[in-house]
Amino acid sequence: MSRRWFALLVVPVLFAAACSDDSSKSSSASTAGGAAEKQEFKVTISDAGCEPREIPAKAGPATFKVTNDGSAAVTEFEILDGTKILGEVENVIPGSERSFSLTLKPGSYVTYCPNAKVDKGVLQVADAPAAAAADSEASQAAVKKYRDYVKSEADQLVTAVTPFVAAVKAGDVEGAKNLFAKARQHYEAIEPIAESFGDLDPAIDIREPDVEKPEDFTGFHRIEKQLWADGNTSGMAPVADQLMADIARLRPKIDTVELEPSTIANGAVELLNEMSTSKITGEEDEFSHTDLSDFAANLVGSKAAFDSVKTLLDAKDAALSTQITQRFADVQTALDAFKGNDPTGNGYVLYTSLTPENTRQLSTVLDTLAEPLSLVAARLL
Amino acid sequence: MTTMSRRTFVVGGVAAGALVGGVAGFSAARQTEPAEAASVSTGTEPFYGDHQSGIATPQQDRLLFAAYDLTTSRRDDVEGLLREWTAASARMMAGDDAAPPAAHPDSPPADTGEAIGLDPAHLTLTFGFGPGLFTRNGQDRYGLASSRPAALADLPHFVGDALDPAHSGGDLCVQACSNDPQVAYHAVRNLTRIARGYATLRWTQQGFGRTSSTTSDQGTPRNLMGFKDGTNNLHADTAPFNDNVWVTPADGPAWMAGGSYLVARRIRIRIEIWDRSSLTDQEVTIGRNKIEGAPLGKLHERDVIDLAAVGSDGQPAIAQEAHVRLANQDANGIHILRRGYSFTDGIDPQTGQLDAGLFFLAYQRDPRRQFVELQRKLASDKLNEYIQHVGSALFAIPAGVTGPGRFVGDSLFS
Repeated sequence: MSRRWFALLVVPVLFAAACSDDSSKSSSASTAGGAAEKQEFKVTISDAGCEPREIPAKAGPATFKVTNDGSAAVTEFEILDGTKILGEVENVIPGSERSFSLTLKPGSYVTYCPNAKVDKGVLQVADAPAAAAADSEASQAAVKKYRDYVKSEADQLVTAVTPFVAAVKAGDVEGAKNLFAKARQHYEAIEPIAESFGDLDPAIDIREPDVEKPEDFTGFHRIEKQLWADGNTSGMAPVADQLMADIARLRPKIDTVELEPSTIANGAVELLNEMSTSKITGEEDEFSHTDLSDFAANLVGSKAAFDSVKTLLDAKDAALSTQITQRFADVQTALDAFKGNDPTGNGYVLYTSLTPENTRQLSTVLDTLAEPLSLVAARLL
Repeated sequence: MTTMSRRTFVVGGVAAGALVGGVAGFSAARQTEPAEAASVSTGTEPFYGDHQSGIATPQQDRLLFAAYDLTTSRRDDVEGLLREWTAASARMMAGDDAAPPAAHPDSPPADTGEAIGLDPAHLTLTFGFGPGLFTRNGQDRYGLASSRPAALADLPHFVGDALDPAHSGGDLCVQACSNDPQVAYHAVRNLTRIARGYATLRWTQQGFGRTSSTTSDQGTPRNLMGFKDGTNNLHADTAPFNDNVWVTPADGPAWMAGGSYLVARRIRIRIEIWDRSSLTDQEVTIGRNKIEGAPLGKLHERDVIDLAAVGSDGQPAIAQEAHVRLANQDANGIHILRRGYSFTDGIDPQTGQLDAGLFFLAYQRDPRRQFVELQRKLASDKLNEYIQHVGSALFAIPAGVTGPGRFVGDSLFS
């Protein structure tokens, strides 16, 4: 299991995309991420205050270029949402210009230049421009495509876990071992979504080192430990029943997950981060060593998330899209070298047969993909 | 020659070299070094005192930490080792060689030599006793089991721990800090040489940059996540320091009065993943603004963290599981002295990724109600997605050596 990302990503209403004293760098970042039209505002700070006092803006990316008109006392410009600083520049010395970029959401905000005679002004952000409407249709299509994928995986998860749970309850150790990786793969493909449902992910997929109290060790890995470390299914019937029940709770929740193209893109990166931290190290399936099956499933899930937003990205940055597509293929090729026939491996060799050179090669090609993939979310804003 | 300090050597280099025969060529060859040494903060720290140095001392820039396994079965050997370490440390902290030069050039040099001509650059050597000095595998090896402090209780398993025995534990430890890494290395190398036959190195950790400020006039450094670290640390020149760091006679056992407890944690940072996380994610995770270091919702680094601040979206300005919220020493009433260092140890052979992070060192009066409680609160820390604790050790730090004739930890052995 890893940690939640959707919860993290829906919090900021409006945030700084870049903050730099290099205005060309900052504005190009803003352009690249530009969902709607690019907006640029020139602000002048002086002893009297920050001009203009009232700034009308539209929702979307915006760059503020702040010039100091010779004031030694007034060297900062901030945009505040209540007490929260959304963006700022400091140390704008007389005669200099510094800039920062934000993605603006509709609302009324305060502009603030400390120490000025009139130190506050207003930034009024209107609703998204009409031009964004078409864009938002494409966004909705991307979200629907990914949500449909997640639902389909959740359905297949129920189908795959059912015989696994039956084998565990029947005391069929070998049968259960052979179904373990297969049962998990549809979970691993959509794990970041499950992580947004509070306690559900820990209940299903917690690893023993992450458990605080022994009674909290439940789900896949609890059964894995019993099957491999103890070689039996003793005491596992209620754990298996609970796993089945938890899995069944996933599907109806999927309609309630808040999704945006950028969060889907971040989910694709999160799945790669999962692979590079717990699968490539053999920590995820420490008893069964079926980590490569999980690795493959994470990759499938990441690719599906990327494919959902690919059309949007193609329109904004075709070169990046092409590069990422190629690198997904590179990772798949590297992984395909480790196909295997172990009955428990779900088509892949066991982790224990990998050399450090093997894991290092997989890890390196994975980082090569994750780096450009991490740029996608900002492009889609 | 026995009182010849390394600094004196710099000044009187050639003449002194002529006096010591076989060593002469070597020392003369070091004459170009003072210019280099002058670029780091120079000076000495006092070895003798009520408390050991290297705790309240303004934090130096470089670290070499060493943990040892005792190999001898004789209590007298342990005592003898501590006496020798004490003598060598008093000399090295003053800028001297570890031992007086050998009488005959056919003998190996008594001091290994790489610090000749170097200023001590505020070298401090801090010694600690691990649980294994008192009991190991249930055995009372040195008749000290009954003296083991209750506060030196083995640390529990914390959520997410992935501890490697090769970076954990130890019967004895030395924390060598200096503004010159070669001086710190020289000290540990010579102490290790002295220990041969009695104790062997178990693990070492180099730290290349301090990640805390331990006095009010030190600026806040940045850790490898690029954030300012240790803004709200205890500062040696403030009152809460004494209450939270030093063991009192009432705390017991008597031999620990004036001492402290050290928790060392090797915390790997998942550098590659952190670097591909958005600025917003990074700032929400920490709860501070990256450039200025201000708590989210505030303007400046030193602004008091307002955990109740709410943005117009109705969400807390500092997320519920942000690091600064959970680790906030004022909010949870737990104070420790952090004295950690950034480390980088090449690459992880398994992944090819950087093996780098924070070597967390924390001094406190009782780990059971300080570090352990604090670490438990961090179980849900957003930061856990980007870090992993891979090494852990706990040491009792005895009081300082008050004068010549005494040795570090002697009240335990008397």
